[in-house]
Amino acid sequence: MEIKPLSGPLTLTRVVAISAVLGIALIASIAVSLVSGTATISFTDLFNIFKNSPQVSETTRLIVLKIRLPRIFLAGLSGFTLSLGGLVFQAILRNPLADPFVLGVSSGAAFGAVIGIVMGFSFSLGLPILSFSGAVITIYLVLSISRREMGVESSTAILAGVIVNAFFTAVIMFFIATSSEDRLHSMLFWLYGDLSQSRISYSMVIAPVAGLGSVVLYSFAKHLNLMAAGEENALHLGVNVERTRFVCFVTVSLMVGLTVSFSGLIGFVGLIVPHLARMLFGSDNRLIMPVSAMGGAVFLIAADTAARTIMSPNELPVGVITAFLGAPFFIYLLKTRGSRWAR
Amino acid sequence: MGTVIRFKNVGFRYGDNPWELRDISFRVRERELLGILGANGSGKTTLLKLGSGLLRHKAGEILLKGRPLSSYSRMELSREIAMVPQETHFHFAFTVMEVVLMGRFPYLGKFQFEGKRDMEIAREALRATGSLDLANRSIHELSGGERQRVVIARALAQEPSLMLLDEPTAFLDLKFKKEIFELIASLVHSRGISVLVVSHDIDLTAKYCSRIGMLKDGEMVFIGDPKEVITSEGVEYVYECPVVVDENPVTGAPRVSVV
Repeated sequence: MEIKPLSGPLTLTRVVAISAVLGIALIASIAVSLVSGTATISFTDLFNIFKNSPQVSETTRLIVLKIRLPRIFLAGLSGFTLSLGGLVFQAILRNPLADPFVLGVSSGAAFGAVIGIVMGFSFSLGLPILSFSGAVITIYLVLSISRREMGVESSTAILAGVIVNAFFTAVIMFFIATSSEDRLHSMLFWLYGDLSQSRISYSMVIAPVAGLGSVVLYSFAKHLNLMAAGEENALHLGVNVERTRFVCFVTVSLMVGLTVSFSGLIGFVGLIVPHLARMLFGSDNRLIMPVSAMGGAVFLIAADTAARTIMSPNELPVGVITAFLGAPFFIYLLKTRGSRWAR
Repeated sequence: MGTVIRFKNVGFRYGDNPWELRDISFRVRERELLGILGANGSGKTTLLKLGSGLLRHKAGEILLKGRPLSSYSRMELSREIAMVPQETHFHFAFTVMEVVLMGRFPYLGKFQFEGKRDMEIAREALRATGSLDLANRSIHELSGGERQRVVIARALAQEPSLMLLDEPTAFLDLKFKKEIFELIASLVHSRGISVLVVSHDIDLTAKYCSRIGMLKDGEMVFIGDPKEVITSEGVEYVYECPVVVDENPVTGAPRVSVV
């Protein structure tokens, strides 16, 4: 992996310009995704729908606005939070293998959600709260396992995550094996990372949290840069390491917990996207935070579009697509970079 | 000359570990290069961690520019004291310029980007450490000696009044060892920074430092002019190893040879 030599120091202008380009890519990916699918819909139809012109059939309007758009929004927001979460975890733990899925936060959240289903909650406030709690409990577990005298040990945190992940997966499997037919479907929903049941209201819940969370995380972008050379180093440069770690972990847990409660277990997004962002734009979190977040949105919209079109009219859960791409990528990272980061 | 940092009867121990640092008193004066020598486990690194505020002393008093060290916030402290560790591993591929600009962190607001002045300070720091031509390289591509110079440049960008170095030459070969000591000494002269350097290189410390302190089992047993401190009796006592000390025929600095 080569980093591009910076033409100059990072400026706000550069961050805004690159974010703007990604914003355009995001809009383009939404548009392409809206016209892709089993039902044939043209860009002209799209244009007419958003112009509120009567030239479009009610069915087309319904498919675009009630079926595809909510799903695309949820995919975009999930990609946004998972990638940003992955990037922040990697920065704090100084390890590119960290992401919400690997660290067990996603399965912790899914565990919370499954408990909710078993207890008979439906899609109201109950599930997000439970899955957020699941995410936070996982992070707490992983951190307390990997905590040492002088801060958190990153390789232990990854291993702890893998173990916690396995544990929660086992618990989820237990509930699946023992649950009734009707609840089984809702549970499998989480495990595969399926976006097909999306409603626009889900995005309305996630969007403000993702927006606020990303502002909070961005205010720590420089702190995270300094932590790249270790926690003691960052302390000597004036970073409040404890506070940075705490605020970032809680913020990411909240964002990821909420996302997982609606979209299920979508793995590896938080691994692939930040890594690509670093390859293209270097390591400064002030730039790669917006790049990862928006790139993650584009990536998951594309993956979900593929999930619902490649086997059309059958649909695949998006988690299948991301895992299919992500697992080999993870192995590639381990092979090429693993030893270097393993400290 | 004024005092930058002053240790007054400082004591410290790690939890209930029986090892302790006892009754340490010394000062680093303005524009002084003070070296600390001592065997492994004598407390050199602990002393630096106390001085940098990473560890809190349990007895006595540490004054930075006359004010108790504990009354400084992290941010304030990083504008006064810069730390150069033995070795610095960067886990992500930052460029050299980005690394040096990190030294400006304590001067910037949360969302503030580095401005023209910060750039100028960073460039000046790179120039002073002879690493300006490395500015656009990735920190991962550098040799140990080059990386150490960049970390010193980052420390300079903090515009500190005191620089602490923890065995900065431990992993370097002879040429780079000399280069780093020469660099430190030149910074003291040209920038008026005070330096406290912990080292295992007795000869280099003796050559470049204006005063030397020697630690043994958590106590400061000697402190003074290199010629007074680096004696065969002194070195033998501190390192528990028989040595001869004579004079380097070229520099006139004390020279230690193991016998």
